Amino acid sequence: MPGAAGEQSVSIRLIVNERRHQLDVGAGETLLSMLRERLSLLGPKEACCEGECGACTVLMDGAPVASCILAAGSTNGRTVLTVEGLAGTGELTALQQAFVSHAAVQCGYCTPGVLMVLTALLEDTPDPSEADVRRALAGTICRCTGYQQIVEAALDAAQLMIRAATS
Amino acid sequence: MRFCRVRSVAEAVDELSRWGTEGRILAGGTDVMPQHLRGEQSPAALIDISGIDGLQGISEVGGATSVGALVTLRRLATASLVQLRHPALAQAAAVVGAWQTQTVATVGGNVCTAAPWADTLPALLVADAQLTLVSKSGRRRMSLGEFLAGPGATALRPTELLRAIELEPLGERSAEGYIKVGRRSAMDLAVVGVALRLSVTPSSVVSDVRIAVCGGTRPPHRVPSAEAALVGTQLVDGRLDCTEAGAELASAAAPERAKAAEYRRRVLPGLLSRLAERCVAGISGVGS
Ligand code: FES
Ligand code: FES
Repeated sequence: MPGAAGEQSVSIRLIVNERRHQLDVGAGETLLSMLRERLSLLGPKEACCEGECGACTVLMDGAPVASCILAAGSTNGRTVLTVEGLAGTGELTALQQAFVSHAAVQCGYCTPGVLMVLTALLEDTPDPSEADVRRALAGTICRCTGYQQIVEAALDAAQLMIRAATS
Repeated sequence: MRFCRVRSVAEAVDELSRWGTEGRILAGGTDVMPQHLRGEQSPAALIDISGIDGLQGISEVGGATSVGALVTLRRLATASLVQLRHPALAQAAAVVGAWQTQTVATVGGNVCTAAPWADTLPALLVADAQLTLVSKSGRRRMSLGEFLAGPGATALRPTELLRAIELEPLGERSAEGYIKVGRRSAMDLAVVGVALRLSVTPSSVVSDVRIAVCGGTRPPHRVPSAEAALVGTQLVDGRLDCTEAGAELASAAAPERAKAAEYRRRVLPGLLSRLAERCVAGISGVGS
């Protein structure tokens, strides 16, 4: 279990992917290791562990955070969404669907983080420009796609969502 | 290590006086957690202040803007009050790291960490930021300039908490902005950054100038000699000649012999001119 020796634990209550949890986490434990090792949510990836690459991105109260450098203890009372929670109803979101049709996934390591930051963007800015999308992606590194397919998928998903909302 | 969650300023200063130098304040944690994970810091207690509601607000108090220590960079970048009254601060907050960082990183954390490359600090300096520091034995006020005594070493006492930052908003016929240069256009630390606040009289004479820089080895600071070089200058055809001020800025803000300082000396004058141009254009009736 995460949480180094000599670390006292602290009790937290939070909501993850619409489920309530009460957990005892280590004082220096990160949200990422809590999600992966205590809740078996392996969507958020562990890569740099320095807050630089975005592979571990999840949404906290709707906003993207690097879970690898976020203290689990400070998520008390918060609502967290991981990539597993996107298709909560069993159906892919418009964004996920667009990733499939645009082949925006290659090795897939960055995908969970990229999907989360773009989910937040589309919530915030329903009709984003290409520059908006690229700016939102600044903190999620993809070494495979060159980003083009990801950007196109995001713009396409935005239009689909706008059409769905107005029809 | 203990994790102490506090709910109020009173609880926070209690914990701080209990732990002293053994305690470390945790706000957004974007500096504290990586340092802890790398084993660079091993405090006996993390004092989590992120849940203190009283430190989250942005408000107008008298003529000033009061910003709670826990206001996040994302909020600084997007709040209309900040964009209107403190555009340099909004611009600076928007270029710190990525969205993921801005979501949790706080203005108080930037001030107390006092990194030489902290983008928000020059913007706070040109707004003449005044800090309110509280401890069990009372409170004191101090200007940000005084507070930033050395790199990573501020005037903050181990038992003190930064509560709020008071800023002087832009006045009439004034404008301000922030520009940085990093190695890539997003995510990177500032190699050099400049904030400028400029006020102009109705007859287009520069009446007040504030210039602050970050990057380099010193903590962010104002550059009075460069400011003095601009005061009293007459705008000609809506343009401000920054040649002398730029040269002053370069030699005063990057005096070291190192190559990195030489680079900063080269880019600083150009950054100042670009900023001045932007500011003049932003002061209505002057740039035209
Ligand atoms: S693993 Fe969190 S940012 Fe890289
Ligand atoms: S698909 Fe491989 S890193 Fe993005």
